[in-house]
Amino acid sequence: MDLLLLGVSHHSAPVDLRERVDFSKRGVVQALQELAISSAPTEAVILTTCNRAEIYVVCENLETTRADLTRFMSRFHGVPEEELHPHLYSLSGSKVARHLFRVAAGLDSLVIGEPQIFGQVKEAYAVASEQQHTGTLLNKLFSWSFAAGKRVRAETGLGEGAVSVAYAAISLARKIFGRLKERTVLVVGAGEMAELTATHLQSQQVQRIAVSSRTLTRADALARKVGGTAVAWSAVDDELLRADIVVTATGASTPLLSASTIDRVMRARRNRPLFIVDIGLPRDVDPAAGELEQVFLYNIDDLRTIISENLARREEQTALAETMICDEVENFAAWQRSRGTIPAVVALRRRFEEVRKSELERLAPKLTGLTPEAKARVEEVTRLLVHKLLMTPTERLKTVNDEAAAARYAETISQLFSLDDPAQTEEPHSTEPGNEVSSSTSKAPVTS
Amino acid sequence: MNLFPLLPYTVAGIAYGIHFCRRSLQIGRLATTTLAAAALIHTFVIGMQTVQVGHLPFAGTEAVISAFVWLLAVAYLYTEVTTDERAMGVFIVPLLVVLQGVSALGDRVIEPAAPVLDSPWFAVHVLSLLFAYAGFALACVVGITYVLLFRELKSKQLGFFAERLPSLQVLDKMNGRAVGVGWLFLTAGLVVGAVWLFQLQPDSVDPRVRAMSFFDPKISVVLLSWGVYSFELYARRSIGWSGKRAAWLSALGFSIVLLNLVPVGYFLTESHNF
Repeated sequence: MDLLLLGVSHHSAPVDLRERVDFSKRGVVQALQELAISSAPTEAVILTTCNRAEIYVVCENLETTRADLTRFMSRFHGVPEEELHPHLYSLSGSKVARHLFRVAAGLDSLVIGEPQIFGQVKEAYAVASEQQHTGTLLNKLFSWSFAAGKRVRAETGLGEGAVSVAYAAISLARKIFGRLKERTVLVVGAGEMAELTATHLQSQQVQRIAVSSRTLTRADALARKVGGTAVAWSAVDDELLRADIVVTATGASTPLLSASTIDRVMRARRNRPLFIVDIGLPRDVDPAAGELEQVFLYNIDDLRTIISENLARREEQTALAETMICDEVENFAAWQRSRGTIPAVVALRRRFEEVRKSELERLAPKLTGLTPEAKARVEEVTRLLVHKLLMTPTERLKTVNDEAAAARYAETISQLFSLDDPAQTEEPHSTEPGNEVSSSTSKAPVTS
Repeated sequence: MNLFPLLPYTVAGIAYGIHFCRRSLQIGRLATTTLAAAALIHTFVIGMQTVQVGHLPFAGTEAVISAFVWLLAVAYLYTEVTTDERAMGVFIVPLLVVLQGVSALGDRVIEPAAPVLDSPWFAVHVLSLLFAYAGFALACVVGITYVLLFRELKSKQLGFFAERLPSLQVLDKMNGRAVGVGWLFLTAGLVVGAVWLFQLQPDSVDPRVRAMSFFDPKISVVLLSWGVYSFELYARRSIGWSGKRAAWLSALGFSIVLLNLVPVGYFLTESHNF
């Protein structure tokens, strides 16, 4: 059984193709069901985001499964194989683990360290797990990826610092005011940027959003979208007295707010801090207003500088994050190698259990005089005996993380206990019954 | 004896420094634990001294400084635990180390206090002032951090402090509260001292009591600090002097308090040499 990944992402495919292979359009559940019918992976998880569509499977034969998955993607999305093929990437074995751990940590994202991907990986796994498409290997792989992602975020600065204009504005506002719940926002302008920033501020549950635009109907439309109040253009000065945060994003060719206006407002506000985000081009606020003591004026370039600094800081952390991912991949691979002995362990346990059951069946006529409690006791004692006998060898076998050694152990055990020969199940019948009974009963007090 | 808590205070100071730079949670917890241990040892030392002389060891400049350090450590630990904010430790704990060092350098055997101090007014007077000074120390540190963060935000060069400190508004509120509480205790301490002095002065032969007047440096400087803090509170409420101006005023006020506590207390006063 091996791990296999097939997918497309922003690294390999243009956006129009990524849009066409988006599993969320027809539903991941539907895709998982069709995948289970059309090919033979024993376990499968489908991860789909705006930047990637990936199928993680556990399979017997890598080559045939890879071809099956390609056919499945092509058929499911209605994209010809020859068109899809050049943009597909495929990984197997521990490379799958490395890829998934990097994805969960945000190292493979378009914006390095972005946090949403972690939730998307969790969601993908939850859906597959709910639909019972995951087993031991994918359960372990994904839970390991969550731990790796969390570790990278906790021990590096990879997820720190805002990397979009709206988030940069919000993080600055938080640095000035702390929680934004009791804050009042004035948005001047009703364009796309104004809407984006206002929407982000709304998500911070600010107390009030006032929207003003030269055209009141546009202000009203945006106000309704963000749960705010439209105010007349002439009332902007009054709103400035109340607002803690002002977002200006108009297309005006000259500054709307002069330094003297803001100075007058600040006096009336008794120097209460005012955070102004001027994302208009050309600028809407006279830059001299930034010199006033409690005025924090940031324009679009200032925000972009902060973003690029944050991105650079994230880049610096990637080497450390990659080292952590390598550690985690190595640990996962060691766990996987230790699984090489699992079939032998399972077969050994099955053989012992068969022997126990057949011996009890054979001795059943001799045990008829026993009370039901005594019979149950015999059952329990024999089970404990088998369990104790196998405990040490089982634990030792599970710690073998060298593939060759695991194969050697498996071979030896198989030969010693004839695990490949089903006829051996009957062998214990030839042993002396009297001895068996006496040995079982004599051990009962020891195991209880 | 004042040397015993100095070592754990120093270790805590180093741990707070490392925590501030690296932002490691484990080191932060270690710093808090070490500071709590230092405060505990300090409590034990003050307890021993109390048992030894039969009253709270507040007579003499070293003892007063040591008690102030203890009080500030406890006040800071309380603030840290209630606000879950460790960033101030790097500014407060070095102050504790320096002041405890000053106290330990001039460590004298605590002697029973002068008979004139054998009054319930004494403990109320000294404790009120020490509480006030602890509040002012916190306000000063919070004010300094406010200015550091304010500068980063104004210059648009966000970095070291912006990543580590709470918001400007939180710092400003903390400063206002610390000054408010400190001012109440300072006023109470001064009123109690004045009432007590009026009771003592007509009959007292102790030259230190007779030297107590507005012209004694210890008293005139403490009145100056009262004036600075009163102005800060007035300006904050009435003329909108919050934020940076309030921060500078609390730094100025605490400089005057420190001046009164160490150089004036050691070399200049004729009235408070008990």
